[in-house]
Amino acid sequence: MTRTRHPASYREDSGTARRHRCTLPFPESAIVTNAPPADIPPDRAALSEGITVTGVSRSFGGVHAVRSATFTAEPGAVTALIGPNGSGKTTLLLMLATLLRPDGGSIRVAGFDPVTHPAEVRARMGWMPDILGSWSTLSVRATLEITGRLHRLDRATSATRASELIGLVGLDELANQPTRVLSRGQKQRLSLARSLVHDPSVLLLDEPASGLDPSARVDLRVLVSRLAAEGRTILVSSHVLSELDEMATAAVYLEAGTTASADRIAATRTSTRQWRIRSVDPSRLPAALRTVGVPPDRVSVDALGTLVSVSGEADAAALLSALVASGASISSFAPAVGDLEHTFLDLRRTEES
Amino acid sequence: MSTFLGGLGTVLGLELRQRVRGVAWYVLLGTFALVVAGATLMLWLSISYANTGGGYLFSTIIFLVLLLGTLVAPALSGNAINGDRDAGALATTQVTLVSTGQLVLGKFLAAWTAALAFLVVALPFLIFSVALGAVAADTIVTAVIVLAIELGVVAALGVGLSGVIPRPLFSVVTTYLAVAALSIGTLIVFTLGGAATQSPMKTTYIGIDYEAGTDFGAGPQFDGPPPCLDPMITTSTQPRYDYYWGVLAANPYLVLADAAAGSFDRNGNPTDLFGAIASGVRSAQIPPDLDVTIDECAMYDAKGMGEYETPEQVYDRTVPTWFVGLASHVLLGAGALLWGTSRTRTPARKLPKGSRIA
Repeated sequence: MTRTRHPASYREDSGTARRHRCTLPFPESAIVTNAPPADIPPDRAALSEGITVTGVSRSFGGVHAVRSATFTAEPGAVTALIGPNGSGKTTLLLMLATLLRPDGGSIRVAGFDPVTHPAEVRARMGWMPDILGSWSTLSVRATLEITGRLHRLDRATSATRASELIGLVGLDELANQPTRVLSRGQKQRLSLARSLVHDPSVLLLDEPASGLDPSARVDLRVLVSRLAAEGRTILVSSHVLSELDEMATAAVYLEAGTTASADRIAATRTSTRQWRIRSVDPSRLPAALRTVGVPPDRVSVDALGTLVSVSGEADAAALLSALVASGASISSFAPAVGDLEHTFLDLRRTEES
Repeated sequence: MSTFLGGLGTVLGLELRQRVRGVAWYVLLGTFALVVAGATLMLWLSISYANTGGGYLFSTIIFLVLLLGTLVAPALSGNAINGDRDAGALATTQVTLVSTGQLVLGKFLAAWTAALAFLVVALPFLIFSVALGAVAADTIVTAVIVLAIELGVVAALGVGLSGVIPRPLFSVVTTYLAVAALSIGTLIVFTLGGAATQSPMKTTYIGIDYEAGTDFGAGPQFDGPPPCLDPMITTSTQPRYDYYWGVLAANPYLVLADAAAGSFDRNGNPTDLFGAIASGVRSAQIPPDLDVTIDECAMYDAKGMGEYETPEQVYDRTVPTWFVGLASHVLLGAGALLWGTSRTRTPARKLPKGSRIA
């Protein structure tokens, strides 16, 4: 569900609506978005256009960091940008963040070209870099206030926004400490808060979860999902696939500067994949599998359960209903590796072959 | 326009809070105050004997501020942009609505403000020197304005070079080298150039035949004009500083001196360091006389030995150069800022080798 909203209108009604969205802990009810207010002019619909990248390339000297990237990220979705180290994720994000000029191709962020209209993009885009830089002698609060001022918010709005964001990312106790005393994870939170200061409709998060402890990761996941549910476009890069699996609703695979085509991704959906099955009575499971006609060479056992090779979701569903019908007490039936990881690894396999 | 100024003000405030303000900064200012206080005390004691007013004290403090300012400003400004990039704090600023022009200009204004703080610290001592008397109002105004502009030029050079050179250490060093080239390099070029370019000089000496006079124990006496000896011609060489005086126009200290000079006492002697330096430097504009005749014989009855020019006469018959120097400095600073801005502009087309954008 997406929702059209203009950042400026957000600032003007700094009252109840925003406070409701930006307080911790996140109540599940906050994820449910309201219908768009009727008074939003139609031209502002363009602001929720998300990200469109077509045939973008960029090289540094002789190094082709990005060769050909083509993808879209929709408003309301969390799009994962997946690729191994050095695959061009950060370069691509830098181009989306109006910092780097592409050699070729075209980019639209929130409806604007970052090369020709950087200011329009910057007003609507929040970027959390993979480098944790900050003004080391300034306090957390001052950092957020000044970022707000740099985004042309007035003094009072910047101050309230800073307080809200400090609460949102849980840095209350460190609000008045200079940023140089922050730990890595705390700097990550500050960096996230900084990217949200101007209430952007597009969020670019470069490795947002690295350095976060498990509970902070959960907070981040909930927050990112909520921001997406509010109608924002979110692009998250990472090479830690398990963490993306939990929040991404769409994925872009980048390898050696090239995004995988939809065809290739579709092909991975039907490739053989292991599913892990657990039963209340594990000793009966091999017999049950034989009964439903699974050849023994497709079955293996690891410490966590029984692994069965299955091609595609339809196959898996058929296997599950057969097993249940045969009377096996199945307690868990799930892919052994996450969707993203399976696709990613499968793409790499086909790349190499 | 007001959005431009608003963004500029935010960057200026951020820079002053982030880069300048701190304990070390106040210690530096305090140390400078002590140095100026010491210099003021000693100069005051020395001029109280001569009773020449506060001109020398005033000009000395102004030069001290220029010295300290040009020593500190490169360190404060020379890593303004690449230092932020190294700390990962540049790109996060660039994705806000602040423009590259506002960013660079704000950093420049912050570095300039920091250098001007030395002038503020020196203010009580300047007021004291003016209170001693004999400091002309136009000298005060000109000296302070030119000093402020020169400090701004150093700040602009530092900020500009920090946008051009990727490594903070090298941009700081390059800024120092640029300041040294102007302050000391010009003097070296002037001195070596003059010494290396020498012209032959013919000196004709016509002496008096003292043997012909009558001696009553108090030196030879003559009836009428003394008999002359045959002219004696010697050749030598003379350094041609007059070819190189233009180089000195680029020296910030001399720009300051030349601009603020003009105050002389009734004997034609300068009443401050500005005039003393300016008339000395300007005398280099006068080409040396390469065919000198010293006719001691003809001048025997004359009152003086040749004509002596006072510093004021030298100052008056030579051309001022300060505005050429000052204009070239301002162009240099502005050029550095523009260059730095164009290299910092985003979306970036090309990156300096080995630099990360963030």
